[in-house]
Amino acid sequence: MSAAESRLLLLGWNFRGAEASVRERIAFNADEVREALERIRRDGLATESVIVATCHRSEIYAVSDGERPQEEISGLISRWRGLDPAEVASASFYREGPDAARHLFRVASSLESMALGESEVLGQVRGALALAREAGATRAVSHRMFESAVAAGKRVRAETDISRHPLSVAAIGYELATRVFGRMSEHTVLVLGAGETGTLFAKLAREAGIADVRVSNRTAERAEALAASVGGRAVPWSVVPESLAEADLVVGTTSSPTPVIREPEVQAAMRQRRGRPMMFLDLAVPRDIEPSVRDIYNVYAYGLEDLEGVADENRRLRAREIPKVEAILEEELARFLAWLGNLAVVPTLHGLQQHLAALRDRELERLPASERERFRAFADAYAARLLHEPMRRLKDEPDASRKLERVEAIRHLFRLDE
Amino acid sequence: MASHALGWLAVAFYCAAQICAIVSLVRPKIMVARATPLLIAGGLALHFADLLHRARELGSVPYRTLGGSVSFFGWMLGLAFLALALRHRERATGPFLIPVIIVATVAGLLLPDSPSAPARGTQGSVFAWHVTLAILAYAAFALSFVLSVLYLIQSRQIRRGRQGPLFSRLPPLEVLGRMNRTSVSIGLAVLALSIVLGLVWAERFWTTLADPKVEWAVLTLLVYGLLLWMDRRGWEGPRVALLSILGFSVVLFSYTVVNMYLTQAHRFR
Repeated sequence: MSAAESRLLLLGWNFRGAEASVRERIAFNADEVREALERIRRDGLATESVIVATCHRSEIYAVSDGERPQEEISGLISRWRGLDPAEVASASFYREGPDAARHLFRVASSLESMALGESEVLGQVRGALALAREAGATRAVSHRMFESAVAAGKRVRAETDISRHPLSVAAIGYELATRVFGRMSEHTVLVLGAGETGTLFAKLAREAGIADVRVSNRTAERAEALAASVGGRAVPWSVVPESLAEADLVVGTTSSPTPVIREPEVQAAMRQRRGRPMMFLDLAVPRDIEPSVRDIYNVYAYGLEDLEGVADENRRLRAREIPKVEAILEEELARFLAWLGNLAVVPTLHGLQQHLAALRDRELERLPASERERFRAFADAYAARLLHEPMRRLKDEPDASRKLERVEAIRHLFRLDE
Repeated sequence: MASHALGWLAVAFYCAAQICAIVSLVRPKIMVARATPLLIAGGLALHFADLLHRARELGSVPYRTLGGSVSFFGWMLGLAFLALALRHRERATGPFLIPVIIVATVAGLLLPDSPSAPARGTQGSVFAWHVTLAILAYAAFALSFVLSVLYLIQSRQIRRGRQGPLFSRLPPLEVLGRMNRTSVSIGLAVLALSIVLGLVWAERFWTTLADPKVEWAVLTLLVYGLLLWMDRRGWEGPRVALLSILGFSVVLFSYTVVNMYLTQAHRFR
């Protein structure tokens, strides 16, 4: 490959290829991302770069016309982090051109995530672009590539079921509740236990729009604190059995060694509710809710193992969507690559020459036939003179990204893509 | 034999509505959901024109023939479905309910359409209302039947914690239960009115009210009345759905076996 042609590249360390021990030492926080971008620029390794840093990946996307950008960037990272260069290099993966762009598109649509279909990564990709732009490290190509990747990621989530079936037990339980109760905003949820899981579920319920969130805990203060933080109210531990009937959804998350909710209490609650359905989610180990409550009429009850079974099933359902996702990505990728491919100097020069020739012919039409030959020669000489210097400068431009930007400017100003 | 071009056109509209309903269920992001009620309404208008045409040819209400009455049942079903879908803003039940409309309409077009001489007294408006309301009630019960079957399937799947790709897009149990309640309430009220009108009419033209069809209609009334009572008394859910299915089997029995073999007075031929 000639050094004059700028190319897109990706150097990364992710959970597939790199041991956690290496990954952790390479991993960047926001400040380190800024510093890395600055170092890459200062050492002249690339003319633009963006770093996608998540829990499971550090990926450097760059535009460079260097001879050996992979070794150079990898060397920079190992020197900076004080790591063995061979170890850093062997744990990394490297992509160039369309493959680098494809990888980013796959990352943005969560195909490269541990949890297929997760939605955080899209925000992380968007954040990576924002951070690099702020640091002045992005230019036309990385900008366009990241925007396209985010757009592709959004399309994937809108047009496929890759994010549809929830994977966490709390989200699965919540979804089951919506299948029974419909609009949850009009229903009441009672969370037993204010520990980690209880907090998680109370927040999920709040975010999902349940207006009436109640929390009960053996230690009243913790229940009150959690209730306050989610805008709900605390229920004294001693009155839980009596207040059961008011709750449509009861979630057990305590660390109690014996069940907190027993069958007769649920039966009494159901009588009070006149048979209106009730749902119990037991997220506690050992159980908080007696398993036999599921035999009561119109009671839907699930234990942790039921919900985990659903999670496995949902993982399979998400995986079934992969071919559809890949088809969308290839479509979006083709659009980006077509744009990128147009940014080469030589085709743009040809395009510009053709454009000028067409203009010339249109003008010659207006002249009497006898004079056309003479003016054609003049016009050609004039155009050649006019283009000579700008084209020389364009070809000799040392900054790879600036070259791409200038080609793009010419294509835009002369409408060569229309 | 009358030509039923309009009727078949109505069937085409119902089929198009069914396609839209399925597409909007499987791919909710594609905006065809709004087309379903419009196509059903278009189909109902054409279907009505076809019924009017039949009525003109018969010189009486269109349901004096077997084909006419089944077709009219299909029309009422469409009307009830449309009302229910708009009332509950719930379109996901379409793919399960519209086929019933299509089947009834097609059956109405294919079944024999040759009337016998009108029986005594069947020309008056009391009689016409009696039959119209009875058919509307049956249509409401048919809807309730389908909703109840969906409820039971849905409730089983939720209990198991997993749902097929199609059923996970069905309305929640709460909504299915509510739709069922509306449809049974309408059916019950209309059937009661129909029975009253029938009794008013029979007083003039019959010597006795002891007719199996009347008894079965009263039984239907009792079953669905019990259903609504249970629904309020804490039996809502699967048991109400089961009772609705039982109720509809009573309706079917009285619509078929009773009509054909048991009743003398309810045969107007």
